[in-house]
Amino acid sequence: MARTLAMFTDTSLCIGCRACQVACKQWNELPMEQPEWTGSYQNHAHFTDKTYRLVRFIEKPQPNGDLAWLLMSDVCKHCAQAGCLDACPTGAIYRTEFGTVNINQDVCNGCRYCVSSCPFGVVAFNQDTGRANKCTFCNDRIHNGLGPACAKTCPTESIQFGFRDDLVKKATARVAKLKEMGFKGAQLYGADQNGFLGGLNAFFLLLDKPSTYNLPEKPLLPQRNVFADSLLSVGSALLVGVGAIMAFRERGGTGDGDA
Amino acid sequence: MLRNPGWHRLIVWYFFLGGIAGGAYLTAAIADNFGGPRDRGVIRIGYVLALLMVMVCGILLILDLGVPTRFLNMLLHFKFWDPMSIGAWMLGVFGAFAFVSSALSLWGGDARAGLRRRIGLVGAIAGLFLAAYTGVLLSNSALLLWSEARLMGALFLASGASTGMAAISLLLFLSGEGAGEGFKKVKRADRFAMIFELAMLALFLVLLGAAAAPLTTGRMAPLFWGGLVVLGLLIPLVLDLVGGTVKAMGAVAAALVLVGGFILRYVIVMTHA
Repeated sequence: MARTLAMFTDTSLCIGCRACQVACKQWNELPMEQPEWTGSYQNHAHFTDKTYRLVRFIEKPQPNGDLAWLLMSDVCKHCAQAGCLDACPTGAIYRTEFGTVNINQDVCNGCRYCVSSCPFGVVAFNQDTGRANKCTFCNDRIHNGLGPACAKTCPTESIQFGFRDDLVKKATARVAKLKEMGFKGAQLYGADQNGFLGGLNAFFLLLDKPSTYNLPEKPLLPQRNVFADSLLSVGSALLVGVGAIMAFRERGGTGDGDA
Repeated sequence: MLRNPGWHRLIVWYFFLGGIAGGAYLTAAIADNFGGPRDRGVIRIGYVLALLMVMVCGILLILDLGVPTRFLNMLLHFKFWDPMSIGAWMLGVFGAFAFVSSALSLWGGDARAGLRRRIGLVGAIAGLFLAAYTGVLLSNSALLLWSEARLMGALFLASGASTGMAAISLLLFLSGEGAGEGFKKVKRADRFAMIFELAMLALFLVLLGAAAAPLTTGRMAPLFWGGLVVLGLLIPLVLDLVGGTVKAMGAVAAALVLVGGFILRYVIVMTHA
């Protein structure tokens, strides 16, 4: 495996220009959609099967009554432990040699288990093609030595692309600097490889707690309970089976009565 | 912000019929191995019903796919830890068991009864799997309620067994075998399964705690309490206990159990639809 690639989105540098959102649409040839009213400049409310990069516009009330913008360019997190990848029964969802998570459109058959298995609600079902879609980390570009379109186009370097270890170092230094400047809520989200989901290959610097950005505080791998749930089902099966055997059994007695 | 997979009625029907298939096969296999010669009706109806249901199940699943012609992609890949993958495989494996058992029960004769019984015991494991895995599949997603329900598989299994038995007893009644010994035994087995399911449902709700709100107080609440708990579990149990010797009461109870089994899947799957 090649050295893991990553995207680091530093929300403190985001100006909400949405160049990333447009670049993503253009490069990936994602068609037009009906806009939807979200109450702010944000459009759409969430990722769709045709919107892989989405700038979130969050209004945060200040102590003096004003509103402050929190801007965040959101994207598929390319989790090190990816719920969608574990859920996929066809093998369409795979991990590339760079550590990113991608959906092979020629294999996906549209069962939609990945949609329900993403802790961030990223994967979306495309009604037109009958397949699941999400950010590809510009798979075609990274295999040709280019960064993802969103990172390439970002005018403020809010989205940075590079090797994961380098970016984590940069991000850590940036948080320290921001704290020094007085941004007390500055924190990294998904940078820690020992943290949730084994770390995110698209990680973030946030200026407030994750829930302010509609992100789960501690996302968990959906498949963590498969074994326990299966064991409980086996227990249930044994009890049901014994009950049925008692009802049908004819040995030992002359007939009924022993149920 | 989580996203629902858009599983709708086809999947509700699949979960429901898959439960019946597994429960009916289990009942037939147990009647075959532990019952007597008077249970022949139960055995035949159980195996054949399982076969018919599993065939419908396969069609429902294929129709639900975004690209139905690619259903084979599921079988080009195997992940033993993934409920969706292993479930697709087991649907095929169980279908094969149901086919062989049906054929043996219809045309195998007494000479092959031993073989039929042994096949039934192994096939019953596949049938129980089919009844339960759909619950484990839901509970291993990221969505609220589903992912918090540790007993979903166990509950679906209990319901599958109960609905399978109810379906057999209803078919026995309709085919005029309501007076037979087999009918009585299936009803007795179903009574146990119903009580077990009721206990399992109570435990399911207790373990969910506040997370059960979408079912117990949300928009699904009338269906959940009225349709599943009262109509699908309590009334059939009462009918069974007081209706003792009246066969028609047993048949009505069985029909209500089937309704309840459908509603169970409906309220859980459609909470997110």
